[in-house]
Amino acid sequence: MKNPSRSSWVARPRMRAAAIAALLVGIFVFDTGTNLEIAGAVFYVVVILLAIGLLSTRGVVALAAFCVLLTLVSFALTPSGARGAGLANSAISIAAIGITAYLGVKRAAAEAAAYEARSQLVRMARMTNLGAFTASIAHEVNQPLAAVVTSANASLRWLDQDPPNLDRARRSVDRIIADANRASAVIARLRGLARREPPRRERINLNEVIAEAVTLARQELGRNGISLQLDLATDVPPVLADRIQMQQVLGNLLLNAIEAMEAVPVARRGLEVRSFQEGSGRVAFAVEDSGVGLPAEMQAHLFEAFWTTKPGGMGMGLAICQSIVESHGGHIAAAPRLRGGAVFQVSLPAEEVRHERA
Amino acid sequence: MSARDLAGEPEQATVYVVDDDRSVRDALADLLASVGLDVRCFGSTQELLRTGVADTPGCLVLDVRMPGQSGLDFQRQMAGLGIERPVIFITGHGDIAMSVKAMKNGAIEFLTKPFNDQELLDAIQQGIDADRSRRCEARALAELRERWKSLSRGEQEVMRLVVQGLLNKQIAAHLSVSEITVKVRRGHVMRKMQADSLADLVRLSDRLQLDPELH
Repeated sequence: MKNPSRSSWVARPRMRAAAIAALLVGIFVFDTGTNLEIAGAVFYVVVILLAIGLLSTRGVVALAAFCVLLTLVSFALTPSGARGAGLANSAISIAAIGITAYLGVKRAAAEAAAYEARSQLVRMARMTNLGAFTASIAHEVNQPLAAVVTSANASLRWLDQDPPNLDRARRSVDRIIADANRASAVIARLRGLARREPPRRERINLNEVIAEAVTLARQELGRNGISLQLDLATDVPPVLADRIQMQQVLGNLLLNAIEAMEAVPVARRGLEVRSFQEGSGRVAFAVEDSGVGLPAEMQAHLFEAFWTTKPGGMGMGLAICQSIVESHGGHIAAAPRLRGGAVFQVSLPAEEVRHERA
Repeated sequence: MSARDLAGEPEQATVYVVDDDRSVRDALADLLASVGLDVRCFGSTQELLRTGVADTPGCLVLDVRMPGQSGLDFQRQMAGLGIERPVIFITGHGDIAMSVKAMKNGAIEFLTKPFNDQELLDAIQQGIDADRSRRCEARALAELRERWKSLSRGEQEVMRLVVQGLLNKQIAAHLSVSEITVKVRRGHVMRKMQADSLADLVRLSDRLQLDPELH
């Protein structure tokens, strides 16, 4: 289920469910129709193997029980063959079903635990980087501030002397000015870094950016069993934007959507990314997920910095998205989706319009 | 021991500031100068080691976080380097574990930048006072050691037995000398060790016992 090589199956849970149903019927008919000497019921292990990853542990156990029941019913209904051989075959089939279900469920649980550990690690690494970054900024700003405070105290002490040592006091104040400017320069540099001023502006096709971001997220989508639907309008006009920043926005929205769907069953996980033209020369894209959705009280805080619903989250993702989108003259909005889940929509001015205004 | 010290005047104390940030260093030098302290500033512990520490009372103000060697690492190595000076830590981001470690290693104070100037000056004064008494103690012990060395071998033996509470007669028997000899040597011991009484001599001998160089 978490194995990337099986992601094509995972991405189409409905097909898998259909295959399971078809196999159940087929095996039952085959097992009932053939002689008791033929152990058709052994093939139920294929059904169990298909179900592992699609169904919960309890679902797999229930399915295994159902297969055992079908085996017994087949045994009772099969008209021809030796009863002794049929009994032995049924027992072997039931044992095979039971063992497959048990081992499969155990393996899936171990994989899930390994995956959980890995994602914890990734989250921790992300937090550690941010923590280290914050500590480094704090240090950079705090040093000159400490110097300012100390120099100010020194200046007061020079002035308090009898007679006041004005020359030394003035030199202390000169240093205060220099250090305060230094602290201010650190902040200015930081702001430049956060906004990457001036952002590069180039003509970009939003569909291309979406395709790139989705490619980057595909692995993660597969791992989480999320089916993806792309609905990109072919006639979207280009926008003037910073490609990297737009990728950051999309990457953030995709990651949020994936995380929002962690709590819903795999069969119900679906992501849709759309691009479209939005009236008066605007281009928009939307990321829709079938996740846990947006309660009303959440919507008010979504874009606030340091506001988060995720354990271990920083609450910076959407705040950064908003600042990027707004620096491009666009806006970002979030709404609950009608069928459950959430929609995040970003709209940007198309290039022609900006050009006319300028 | 300087000439001024013998005259009874307190020696000028020196504060050694080690911080990699020039602004902080300059500001600290200014603050300490404004209260009349002698300050030497260094950008790293290596720089301090190159210059060395003068044989005068003083203390160290160390930044915890520095490129090269951290203040905490330096504090641990100081004894091995023969730098016995009280340490005051200043740090931009102090956490509890760090300050506990520093205080366990004998730091006087652990201050977070920006710090209160009076707190720092108080800590520095405390450090200097502590260093003065440490130096005083060391000097007294060195002098006592000299007195002990001025005793002849026979006198040292007599002193060892006297402070154990033995009578002259017992000492004479122990060393196989006459009681008169013991009395003479005992007189020399009291004079050379500058002891006023037997109790005084016992006290001096106790302090010498603590001195590992005599063992």
